Amino acid sequence: MKRTTFAVAALSVSALALTACGRSNDATSSTPQTGQTIGSGAATGSITMWAMGAEGEKLPGLVKDFESANPGVHVNVTAIPWDSAHDKFKTSITANKAPDVAMVGTTWMGEFAGLGALDPVPPAFDKSIFFEGAAGTADVKGTSYGVPWYVETRMIYYRTDLAKQAGITTPPTDWDGLKAMAKAMKDKGNAKFAIGLQPGGTGSWQGVLPFAWSNGADLTTDNGAAYNFDTPEMKEALTYYASFFTEGLADKAAPTQPTTDADFASGRVPMFISGPWMMSAVEKLGGAGFTDKYDVMQIPGKKSTSFVGGSDLVVFKDTANRDTAWKLVQFLSDPKTQVKWYQSSTDLPSVKSAWNDPELSADPKLAKFGKQLETAVAPPSFSTWEKVAAQFDSQIEKVCKAGLDPGDALKQVQMSATSFGVGS
Amino acid sequence: MRTNRRPSITTLTYVLLAVALIAVIVPFVWMILGSFKSEGELRRVPPTLLPQNGTLDNYTELLARMNFTQYFANSAIVAVAVTAGNLLFCSMLGYALAMLEFRGKKLMFTLVMGTLMIPGVVTFVPLFILVANIGLIDSLPGLILPFLVSPFGVFLMRQFISSLPRELLDAGRVDGAGELSIFGRIILPLLGPALATLGILTFLGSWNNFLWPLVVAQTESHYTLPVALALYSTGQNAAQYGLMLAGASIVVLPVLIVFIVFQRRFIEGIASTGIK
Amino acid sequence: MTATTVTASRRRTPRFRLREGGAAWVLALPFSLLFLLFTAWPVIQSLYMSFTDTKDSDLRSPFSVNVIGLDNYRRALTDETFLHSARNTAYFVLVGVPLTLGIALAAAIALDKGVTRLRGFFRLGFYTPVITSIVAVAVVWRFLLKADGGLINTALGWVGLHGPNWLGDQHWAMPSLIMMAVWRNFGTAMIIFLAGLQSVPWNLHEAASIDGASTWQRFRHITLPLLRPTILFVSVTTAIGYLQFFEEPFVMTNGGPLDSTLSMSMYTYKQFNFGDYGFAASMSYLIFIVIAVVTALQFRLLQDNT
Repeated sequence: MKRTTFAVAALSVSALALTACGRSNDATSSTPQTGQTIGSGAATGSITMWAMGAEGEKLPGLVKDFESANPGVHVNVTAIPWDSAHDKFKTSITANKAPDVAMVGTTWMGEFAGLGALDPVPPAFDKSIFFEGAAGTADVKGTSYGVPWYVETRMIYYRTDLAKQAGITTPPTDWDGLKAMAKAMKDKGNAKFAIGLQPGGTGSWQGVLPFAWSNGADLTTDNGAAYNFDTPEMKEALTYYASFFTEGLADKAAPTQPTTDADFASGRVPMFISGPWMMSAVEKLGGAGFTDKYDVMQIPGKKSTSFVGGSDLVVFKDTANRDTAWKLVQFLSDPKTQVKWYQSSTDLPSVKSAWNDPELSADPKLAKFGKQLETAVAPPSFSTWEKVAAQFDSQIEKVCKAGLDPGDALKQVQMSATSFGVGS
Repeated sequence: MRTNRRPSITTLTYVLLAVALIAVIVPFVWMILGSFKSEGELRRVPPTLLPQNGTLDNYTELLARMNFTQYFANSAIVAVAVTAGNLLFCSMLGYALAMLEFRGKKLMFTLVMGTLMIPGVVTFVPLFILVANIGLIDSLPGLILPFLVSPFGVFLMRQFISSLPRELLDAGRVDGAGELSIFGRIILPLLGPALATLGILTFLGSWNNFLWPLVVAQTESHYTLPVALALYSTGQNAAQYGLMLAGASIVVLPVLIVFIVFQRRFIEGIASTGIK
Repeated sequence: MTATTVTASRRRTPRFRLREGGAAWVLALPFSLLFLLFTAWPVIQSLYMSFTDTKDSDLRSPFSVNVIGLDNYRRALTDETFLHSARNTAYFVLVGVPLTLGIALAAAIALDKGVTRLRGFFRLGFYTPVITSIVAVAVVWRFLLKADGGLINTALGWVGLHGPNWLGDQHWAMPSLIMMAVWRNFGTAMIIFLAGLQSVPWNLHEAASIDGASTWQRFRHITLPLLRPTILFVSVTTAIGYLQFFEEPFVMTNGGPLDSTLSMSMYTYKQFNFGDYGFAASMSYLIFIVIAVVTALQFRLLQDNT
């Protein structure tokens, strides 16, 4: 008897509580905002900054210059691991425990801005000093929520010695040329597979989109208000990408963690698409003089356009010391600081003028990355991008491994994308 | 004692166990050996077993870059506290559930099992928000308290204790012992193997815990060892295998020691005596 | 013997029972307090979320969301990918749990009764998979499972069999992960069984063998019944763990190829990551219901009712 009364009471209380819930109907502003101005003068007080991995380790050294230029200011850098950093940011934001400043992966910008966690960039920042595609990663619905800190882009690595053997001396600039090169490398060289491509799975969109963009595909429509996957340019790109697998030029059954650098160094797979960090990896394995045996080339297509990634600097809305936080960001975006940062971390500068420094212009391969960066773009910074990209990855896998028709695959992706919407 | 055991069966058992052991232990051995290899050697295909050019670089780099003693101390304090708490509180409740009658016993057991069955991922964020609101973020108590008594431990102790004879309690009551002293003086000493097992499992779980310490710590001074090691060995685009294996080998060492100590002292001791 | 029992039952006055109940509540106090604070509240909050359309952007204002009743649950139960992941999970559990328990019990018995020397050495060796970080051993396992040149396929080649592309083939990926999970987890089950076996009083075995019972008879009639609570424990906890299996597919295959190794927990985790908190919470509680049913079944089958 007592138990039933208790249960009834509990249920009624919960029912009452539930009726008190509900979304308010005020429309959230979706017009582009500009940040508030920051005060002039030296930075003061103390702020906390989060940075991941090696960047987090090396940052305190760089920050000392900022502290000496602004006596009395103190920057506490906390290094956090890349592994699960995204989870840490999300959880901290929801519990109002985010830091003042942080470096944030470019693909996370849409999501964090959508949570209402980021402070819009003040007018003092001139976006034109950055690579256009990189600056675009921080642009969410017309408002800039951060500035690019360092960048990376993808190019095709290829073995120059093996290509020469196969009769290729100049890198191709169109799709047919790349296909012919791949065939030649496989037939005339000793390659098991010509090129290392990801047959679907997480992140495979980063391999497909460069071809699509180079073919003129636009991922958004309606002036950037909706997704746009089901286009002829996209279909051509996906068909082209999948053809490498069907023609035996790329491994359909490649494991999730491929042995790219080992295969490249041994010649088993003499081409692959990746970013600048792979240079030191393959050179370590290739031994002395390996740097002369390979080179990088731009993504072929009508207008070579690769994927730009890296990290952006953001200031969180709940910061208690907004002025100092943005001043630190200003310091880190200064070309001289950018070069100094490259010297200590080998992260590529996001500021275009920093590339004129001899440190960067001397290395020919690096200069090629710089060139590719000029036209590189990022996927739209919608808060739903990760969800849509996962669907895209899944369909890419079906096309590459199960022979699904690319047109059907893209229709599926577009359906999911439309149902997810572009988020808040 | 074992007069009816033919020597050939024993030999066969040894051989089978040895083969099984080799099969089982290869990845572990590879991990330890790999920590002494250079990054280049680790990425080679096919992988080598013994290091070609053994190097201590991974260890020296790791230990030089990080404030090892602080992270080790944090991990140790948290793991010891959590293990001690669980050994005491889980056996207390496990005993009550196994041997005593009380109002709400069924409810209590249902709550214990219920908690055990809820996927941790769904309570993770609400728990974090709660801990933040209490003010335990970025503190060692924040790392210890939510795990001080685990339903897994309660369930384990309940099962072990329920296999003890009830006559022990009756004997104790006849002798005029209070309920709590029956628990402390009679039951607890007989729980050697169970406590040792729970101790190992709890210590292991706490020591290797990564996600919770990662989000609770706001400053590096509160990092535990697994978090710090992830910091130095995972990258945005490429993992550093050498550092990662060295880190994994360092992390595994205290657990190995705890295992050996607990197993030897408690299991071997009780085996020959059985129930007193 | 009888005298003691009579005396004991005469002692069972109501006052005596209250002392027992009171003591029980004292013993239960630490768990109850910690439970109320750190478990009950998060569970209530997440359960509430499962009945709303909460997204991650709503977590800072948890009450400004719409209550949508069972919509999330309906959506989960009609989600093709979720149902596929449920089938994958069932496959994993139905094969993995008996395999793990069987191997663990065999190892425990072999170490407890079969050998006298080197016991600690074998125990430690068999336990090492449990304590190694999965990320560290993933590298080795990938080599073991490599299609051409991997250790397992090379060994199979010696006996004339052609091994499949373990991690790359959608039909063989799950068996690979089951192998890996059994390897990783049998050690835990083994040491629990060992502890259980050690608690079997030796004098019972002595008495039985003097009476002429064979080893097998002693195992069946003395060891196994006394081991029942332990078996129940290992079976339940292993099943609970395997129903939520996450790490192996997360590290090795990311749910692929073609979602053949996608587990319910992985899919739920992905939804949490996408910010669909209400939906993901409902899936978590659906998983909870499955776990509860499976656990109840095991209790029904294995519970010692003496």
